Amino acid sequence: MPPFAHPEVLVTTDWVSQHLADTDRVRVVESNEDVLLYATGHLHNAVHVDWQTDLQDAEVRDYISQKQFEALCSRLGIRPETTVVFYGDKSNWWACYAFWTFKMFGHADCRVMDGGRAKWEAEGRTLTTDVPTYESTDYEAGSPDPSIRAYRDDVLAHMTAGGALVDVRSPQEFIGEISHAPGNPASEAAMRAGHIPGAANVPWSRAANSDGTFKSREDLEAIYLDEQGLDPDDRTVAYCRIGERSSHTWFVLKYLLGFDDVRNYDGSWTEWGNLVGVPVETGMPDLDGTVEP
Amino acid sequence: MTARLQEIADELAAVPRDLQVELLLEHARQFPPLPEKYHAARAAGLGRVHECQAEVYFFPEVDDGAVRIWADIPGHAPTQRALVGILREAYDGATPAEVAAIPDDLLRRLGVDGLLGPQRQRGFAGVLARLKHGVAAAS
Repeated sequence: MPPFAHPEVLVTTDWVSQHLADTDRVRVVESNEDVLLYATGHLHNAVHVDWQTDLQDAEVRDYISQKQFEALCSRLGIRPETTVVFYGDKSNWWACYAFWTFKMFGHADCRVMDGGRAKWEAEGRTLTTDVPTYESTDYEAGSPDPSIRAYRDDVLAHMTAGGALVDVRSPQEFIGEISHAPGNPASEAAMRAGHIPGAANVPWSRAANSDGTFKSREDLEAIYLDEQGLDPDDRTVAYCRIGERSSHTWFVLKYLLGFDDVRNYDGSWTEWGNLVGVPVETGMPDLDGTVEP
Repeated sequence: MTARLQEIADELAAVPRDLQVELLLEHARQFPPLPEKYHAARAAGLGRVHECQAEVYFFPEVDDGAVRIWADIPGHAPTQRALVGILREAYDGATPAEVAAIPDDLLRRLGVDGLLGPQRQRGFAGVLARLKHGVAAAS
């Protein structure tokens, strides 16, 4: 089986198990959709980073500042050279999201535990409710990496230029029918339903096996390259509703398939579907790019 | 707010965040299983709350003017189990009118809005809307 483009970024549950005690060099971070899940039990020596209360600014709709990121890493005993391993619920959605955020702030050595929490539990491995504390560090962030984040104006220009877009939401969200469900007030928190014109629809979950691990390179290439016609040399933008499922796909394209320039549009549909004056497309495109009503 | 909801809110308000987590987990642990009669509907995917990232299935009933809130929420979604569990505790046996009057800023009143962050509050607003809609439809 061909190896992933950047195989070092994906570690196994075995690898993590063997490195849990190596707290000088490795920090294991649990990031979940569910804010209480870590407290029910987590990997020994793992710390908790919550995507909302730790990584997002409380007032401005944006990520925390570099200073706040430095304070977070310092509190968790992370140094710039620490290997940070992310894992979490939901096939690692939020682990990938936290990974992406750490990368954006320029943390060098980030990895994801393949299969996340579900695989660890399925293998009958130990969980603990003991919350570790580490001697705090004086973390100084390196250069941030803005090249992995797309803002709305970038996306508009990219779309206008016919650039590759991957919408990783469900087909119902993509074609624009889901917010019309009864008893479902503004579920998408967006004024318009549909997708960014020209986007391909590849639900994030197609990249995952049922045990939460990533599919093989061969299987992923069959989906993203052969079926969807994406090209690892083209700039590609992934988005979903709030940028979390798309960070899973971003991880797949960048690290497993080796796309050179792939960005996560974290504003995603909650931004695009509310923007004044941007085009929205509904219906399902054929693979030749035309759209059925 | 019912008296029981006020009691739960007072308990949560009186403690720091780490103990709030413990109290919420206690509510999650006490969450009752879905009654047998709904297993087939649940297996068929009915009752799903699509607004919610977690798999939440609601089966509200109105029996002789009293609301019964039944739900199925997996153990790996303790936050939804805790919050829906609180709703159950506070509103099981209530009238449909009382359910319709559940305050939309419930999480703020419970003092757990800061613990959850804005996106999860929005998700729960969907759960609450779905519950009200389901109870209204059943009564």
